[in-house]
Formats: sequence, structure tokens, C-alpha cells
Amino acid sequence: MTRLILSTSNIMTGGPSIIRKPGADRSNLELTNSLRSNFLAAQQDYSPPLSATNSVRDSSDEDQISRPQASVWTSRHGSEYYIPKIDWSMSGLAEEPSQYDITVKLFYLKEADVKERPQHTKDAVNLVLKELGVPSIDLLIVSFPGMSFEGDCEWEADKKNSAQGNDEEEIASWSVLEELHNNGVVKRLGLAEFGSEKLARFLARVNVRPQVDQVNVKDCCNVPPPLMKLAKREQVELLTHNDCTDILPSGTLRELLGQGVRGAGILSETKRGIDGMKGDLTPEWVVKYTAVVRDRGVIENKGYFAVAELKE
Amino acid sequence: MGLLALGTPLDWPEAKKNAHQVREWGVKQLLAIWNKAKGKERDALLWGDEIEYLVVNYNKDDPNVTLSLRQADILHALAQDEELCDNGGCVPDLQNVKREQGPPLPIFHPEFGRFMLEATPGKPWGIGFKDLLDVEPNMKLRRKIAKEHMNAEEYPITLTTYPRLGSPGTFTSPYYPPSGPRLRSQFVPDEIANPHIRFPTLAANIRSRRGRKVQVNVPVFRDENTPWPWKDPTVNYDLHNWPEDHDVRNGASPDNFIHMDAMAFGMGSCCLQITFQAKNITEGRKMYDQLSPLGPILLALTAATPIYKGFLADTDIRWNQISSAVDDRTPEELGEKPLKESRWRMPKSRYAPNSTYISEDSRLRKEYLDPNLVIDPDVKQQLMDGGMDSVLATHFAHLFIRDPIVIFAEDLQELDLSKTDHFENLQSTNWQHIRFKPPPAGNDIGWRVEFRPMEIQVTDFENAAFSVFMVLITRAILSFDLNFYIPIQRTDENMETAHRRDAVLNDKFYFRKNPFPTRAPRPYSANGGSSSGTNTPATISRPPTPTGPVEDEYELMSIDEIMNGSPSSSSNDFPGLIPLVESYLDSMNVDVETRCELAAYLDLIRKRANGTLWTAAKWIRDFVANHGEYKGDSVVGEKVNHDLIGAVIAIESEKGMGVRNLDRFLGKMVGPCGGGG
Repeated sequence: MTRLILSTSNIMTGGPSIIRKPGADRSNLELTNSLRSNFLAAQQDYSPPLSATNSVRDSSDEDQISRPQASVWTSRHGSEYYIPKIDWSMSGLAEEPSQYDITVKLFYLKEADVKERPQHTKDAVNLVLKELGVPSIDLLIVSFPGMSFEGDCEWEADKKNSAQGNDEEEIASWSVLEELHNNGVVKRLGLAEFGSEKLARFLARVNVRPQVDQVNVKDCCNVPPPLMKLAKREQVELLTHNDCTDILPSGTLRELLGQGVRGAGILSETKRGIDGMKGDLTPEWVVKYTAVVRDRGVIENKGYFAVAELKE
Repeated sequence: MGLLALGTPLDWPEAKKNAHQVREWGVKQLLAIWNKAKGKERDALLWGDEIEYLVVNYNKDDPNVTLSLRQADILHALAQDEELCDNGGCVPDLQNVKREQGPPLPIFHPEFGRFMLEATPGKPWGIGFKDLLDVEPNMKLRRKIAKEHMNAEEYPITLTTYPRLGSPGTFTSPYYPPSGPRLRSQFVPDEIANPHIRFPTLAANIRSRRGRKVQVNVPVFRDENTPWPWKDPTVNYDLHNWPEDHDVRNGASPDNFIHMDAMAFGMGSCCLQITFQAKNITEGRKMYDQLSPLGPILLALTAATPIYKGFLADTDIRWNQISSAVDDRTPEELGEKPLKESRWRMPKSRYAPNSTYISEDSRLRKEYLDPNLVIDPDVKQQLMDGGMDSVLATHFAHLFIRDPIVIFAEDLQELDLSKTDHFENLQSTNWQHIRFKPPPAGNDIGWRVEFRPMEIQVTDFENAAFSVFMVLITRAILSFDLNFYIPIQRTDENMETAHRRDAVLNDKFYFRKNPFPTRAPRPYSANGGSSSGTNTPATISRPPTPTGPVEDEYELMSIDEIMNGSPSSSSNDFPGLIPLVESYLDSMNVDVETRCELAAYLDLIRKRANGTLWTAAKWIRDFVANHGEYKGDSVVGEKVNHDLIGAVIAIESEKGMGVRNLDRFLGKMVGPCGGGG
């Protein structure tokens, strides 16, 4: 069994992949585009210099893609397989950690085993701490699968939300977050996409309360009034976001790693007769991290890790 | 305007003799500041806005509207009140205001025009998103406090210019006759200027240095009944009070132009200016450069100046009029006569778009700079000898080609290197569209950049929207490391373009096609340079700048495209300044109410850019064109003016009930949004 660790590195200076386009304003595009461009960049950077000029980009014909060998730009440590490889000596922030507001959002994916969430959470937090070179994070928001604020009417959306997700699983998953909070690794905890009824039920049953509920409503001026009221009363901050609820579907992941023009050439695709890794691919979690220089409002570092399990 | 120290101002011939000394001391003071503050680091983002008001006397039933010249009295009333406040004995209303708001009360300042006021927040804003929400209420509070210290029929309004300034008849109260010794204007009295000795001296010395009156000529709008060729009917060719009265007989007032002849026609305009504090000098220099190409775009977007001296103009903005109104260049400097006494030709007025870039950014290609930039080589040499790099020394050596205009005899006694007065004398009379401001003496303020081109907007909602937008775009520029560089002369051209009627919709502006940085290769990989010894990401060296032809880097784009992004049908792929700001906000933790209010601001700007909503200039034109008294002859008479001013007052004080086409101008005039507003 191999754990694939995909990373984007710092996407702030990555250009167009992070800019909202009309009609495509959900951030799973940001994730997939920035993963793809980081793969390409690593392939270019780690290729032998002579062939680097145009071996990767110029191939418009699928059959003639010439990529550097995966071993050149990826790395393996035991069962962990980094795509691309990460030079940890380059990690860290420009100023000392106290200057930053660090927000981390962890997406538990629906394909993953719920019982693994504690481990996934620790892995995700540790990767981010290592990447940013900080001892703690300011806000950790978790996003459970199957939750959304869909619907034209905000009341309706809030109602629907009440029946989404799985209360028992979510509350069970929360204890590892409470542990991180109690250890001082995470200063504040948050949830995503909890409507008023779900949030009320949740608040009643946890020890360390979430201080943030991040919601994605079509129009931020139309937050469901019951949620607004509850949040005010319970002092839960309602933040906006623009993330996709289904952030990394397995089809997208396969395409990203596959042999197609837009793939990284990691996974085997027998129909093309090209070798690569084979097996069942299960996306497990995605983590997004953002480091903002607090009193200047400048985003210095933002990126993603996405982890999937490959059963060979 | 600052610098209101009292003293004995020198008349121009005397000032001229001492100009060199002021410059020399200015350079020494600049070097002292630079040496003291070049290593200043990690200053927070603090920013401030400045709102300027015209004060009018308006009564619904009196057709004659006038400018109030009671600036001094109003400021006095404000000052006294604040003193009272400090002592805990304020008028009850003000005290309530103070208690509710918490932060210090706004600060009011005099301005050049004696009919003007300027107000700034009591303390600078930060980047906390809650601060951004405080801007609009604070602007409203400023207007309210100002109004409370005026007579019942006086109103602070935020039009860029008073439509009938300089028209025949009475346009000030009290009335003063024109043709005074200082301005020698045949249209406005000397009393139009702030009586503080600095201001009349400034106006008189500009006129004197120039050798004639300033000439502010704006093309008249040719309507269906406008006589053509049009001769400004208010010009008096038979005046013989001053030698300068010859100016009009010597062709100062060409056909088809509205003719104005005094500093007040320009410096009597109201602007919306935003100043940002940078983290350090490097960030300040970068922000200065990156904001420069945005100047003409924001100028066209905020266009609000379609009327001068009672006539519809064929331009929409104030910029060139101010430029002409303070143009102190001699005929030699203007290139009308061979150089004899003057040191060099100068292609621009002291009030003009900035002429050089100052960043040490490796993306600054030499092709972006003006090869004909006029500088004072001696000043540049002195600055470089003092340790300043060539790029920044060039900038200041360019500012120092000018003479100081107002010199106080007392300041010439001895040089005080702990002060910045001589440096500021030149710096603050170089009115460029972006200003790079070194830290002032004697406090902890950092390096700052002032964004100066925007026109004041009629409502505080709009003024807050544009202020907040500018803050957010600077954050996006720094976060995404954006690159808006174009050759600086293209920005000059864009500034001209911005003047055209409805340029916001009909004209195109040079803008960089791809604002994104090129990716830096991994330093230790096969293809990355590994020269830098440290391993903090911030020190990654940039990849070599691509060196394709500079002309391929930019293109003519509409304001809509620049603000909202290239349409999919276009071959350009410009992301749009508003989507860039939205992407920035997507990466920040913003609460729902704040985001809602910011969305209302961005929506206003988006719609101004795509034509859904009108600029103030267009709304004013529409108001005039459809007024019953307007005869289609470009004349904005007293009744039209009265009703226009009435509408402007109504928009802010009565939510604009019944004002014509208000929804086309501002959209739905409900509060910015349900909860927040």
C-alpha cells in the first residue's frame, strides 16, 4: 500500500490558476490547476538541463508525450510517495511565526474510511506545520463530506442542511481536533457548511466548541436568518468561503496522475500500454493552508496537500 | 495641504534668488531622512483617505446658490468644539457621537479654496476587515460634523468643482469683485483663496514665475444649439487693471474653449486621495510603480467633472485643468523661447502624471522608462554620493528640477537636518498622480505611497467603495506579486484618454496583458540557480525577465476589460482587477457581513466599468440636458445649477428622493446590504 502525497507548493506566485474566472468560481479548479502546474514545474525543474527546453510542453500529440522519469521529480520514503518531491529545506515563512495568521482547512473526503480520520487529521496538520515551519496554527476548519448550502432559497438550504452529513461520525471525528486544541497546536477550531440545526446539535455535544462556521452561500448577503441568529447567540463567527464541496473526486485525481496530456504520468493506463503504478486509488483528504501577514493583509503562502491511498 | 507654518513669504523675485539654497538644503534633508529610514522595517499597513468638500449656500427657494467663503469660521467652530470635547465639555450631540463611535473624531483641514474643507479619519485605518466597514460610517460622520458647524443653509458637498465658479454675477458669499492684485483674474476675486499667506503667495508666485496668468482652457461641449465656432462670452477683452489683462488680447482664450485664468479653477477641485504605509522602503517603491498604471483607469472610472464656469465641457475629469492652473513654467521651459535664463525645457507641469518608476524590481525593464526624463544631474550626483541608488536618486532629481514656490524668510536662517521642511517644499509642490512619501521627521510613521488621481464622488458610499477597492487591490498586488508595468509614457497617454467624454465606456487604455509573475524554478534543482546561500523562500531569486518586445506585453483595453476581465470572445486573457480582488478575498477569512458589504462596493465599481451604472459626469450631463431651463447651448445657468446642487444635497441628506435617474447613477439606493448597512 502506498500513500500518495500530492502538493502544490506556494500557489500565490503561481499565476492564473488561482484567479477566479466568471462561470468557474469554485476552488476545486484552483486545487487541480495548481497541482497540475506544480507537477509540470517540477518535471521541468528536475529534468536534465539539456532536454529541459521544450520536452514537456510542446507535445500536443498524446502519443508522443515525453516526460522525465517519475523518479526524477518525485520521491519515495517508505510507503509515502511525494508527488512532486518536496525540498523541505525550502519550507518556512519569511518572518517569525507570530507575524502570521495561519488558517488551515481540512477536507475529509467521502471515499476515505471514517475511522482513519484521527490519523488523517494529525498527518495533515503535521505536513502543514512542516511546510510553513511553524509550531502551531491559528484556525483549523474541518469540512465533512456531503454537506452544502444548495438551493435557491436560503431558508430552504438551511433546512436541507439539517439532514446532511452524519452527526455521529462528525462528533466522533471532533475529538482529535479537541486534542490538537488542548495541546496548543491549534488555537481555534472551525466547521464548514453547518446550518443552524446541525450546528445547534453539534454545539450541544462537544467539549471544545467550534468558534467558526465557514459557509458558502450563493450571495453572502443572504445568510439564512436562523443561522445568523444562532451564530450571534453562540458567538460562532460566520466566515465566507468559495470552496467546492466535492473538492477532489476520484475521477479528477486519476486524470491528474494519469498518462493523458493533462496528467502527470504516474499512474499506469493499460489501454495506452504505458507503465506506471497500478491499483485502486482512494482519495482520502485534502488540506488547504494560508499564511497571511497579520497586520499587512498580505498572503505570503497558500497551498494544498492532497493524499490518496493506492492499493497495488 | 499641510505646511501652514506662519512666516514672511518672499515675493517671486526674492524667492527665485533663494531657490537654489532651498533645493540644496532639501537634498541634505532628504539624505538625512533616507539614511535614517532606509532600514525601517515591518511597518503595518496603515492607510488613510482624504475627502474634500465644497461648501455651498443653498436654499430651495432662492435661485442663487453661492460658494461659502466662511472656511476659517467653520474650521474655528470645529476646532473650538474639539477643544471642548477634549475637556469633556462638548456640545451634547458631538459627545454622543464620540461615545458611540469610540475612535477619535475626524480631523478637518483647510484647503486652497476658501470654499473648501478637507476631512480625514481621526486615526489611520488598518487592514482588519472590520476597519474597512468603518470607513463609510466615518465618512458620513465627517460630513455630519462638518454640517453641524455650518450655518443652516451651508452644506458640504462632494462635487469635484463648483459648476459656476468664475461665472459672471455672484457666486461667492460674501461677494468680492474679481481682478485683485494677487490672482489678477478677471473671473474670480483674490478672496477665493484661503487667506493664509501661503496660498495667495503660492498663486501669485506661480503667476509671476510664469510671466503671465495661468491659462486653463477646457474644450466646450458642442451641443445642438451651441454657436460654432464658440467664443467664451464671459471673457472681457477690455480690462486694463493689470499687465496680465493683456493675456486674453494675446490669444490666451482660443475659440471653442472655456477660458479660465487662475489657480482656483484647478486647486479649487476636490479629490479623493488614499495614502498607504508600506512595510519598508522596498515595498513602498514597488507599490508606487504598480499603482502608477492604475491611475488613469481609476480616473476615468471616477469621472465627475463635466462643467466649468457655467458651461458644459467636452471632457469628464478635472486633471488637466489642475495641471494648467499651477503650471509655473516659463516660456523658455515651455519651449516657446530658446533657453537663456531657465535651466531646461520641461515637458510637464508640476501637476502631472508621474514620470519615472522607482522600484528595484527586476521586472522593471529599462524600456519602461522615459529616455527623455528631465533631471537635475547635480542633485542626482549628490544623492548618489550620499549613498542613494541611481533609480531613486533619479526620481528625486526629477522632482528637484522645479523651483520652490513659497519660501519663508525665517526658514533661510539655518539648515536643520532634523526637519524636512525644505525637502517637503519641493516634494509637496510636485503634484504627481502617485507620490512617494518618506517618513516624516519626529515620529514613527513609515514609507508611504499616496494614490492621488481619483475624483471625489457625490456620495460617501461611492467614496468608501473606491477607497476600499484601492486598499484591496494593493493587497492583491502584494499577495499575488502582480506586475502592471507598461512604458511610463503610455500612462501619460492614458491620462489624456481618461479626459474624453465617457472614456470609461468608449475609449481604450494601454494595459499590461499578463500581470502574473513568472514562476521561479526550484533553487536546488537541475535547472534552478542555487546561487543564493540562504533558504528562506523570500530570497528566491527571480528568473531572468523575459525579453520579448515590450510592445507585445501590453494592449489597448476597455475599462470594462481591465476591471472585469477579458470576455471569452477576446484574444486577451486579462483576469480583471475585480476578479483579482475577489480571488484575494477568497483566500482570506472574511465574515459574511463584511463580505456582503465589500460585495456591494465591488458591484458598484463593476457596474461603473461595464456601463450598467453611470459615472457622476454622465449623471450630471443627463441632469443638465433634461432640465427645463437648459437650451441645448452648453450653458449651465443659475437655475440649472441651483437644481443640480439641490439634487446633490438631496442624494446625501434625503436618500435622493425624486432625484432624476438616480438608479442609473447609484443603483438601488438601499443600504449596501440588509444587515451591514
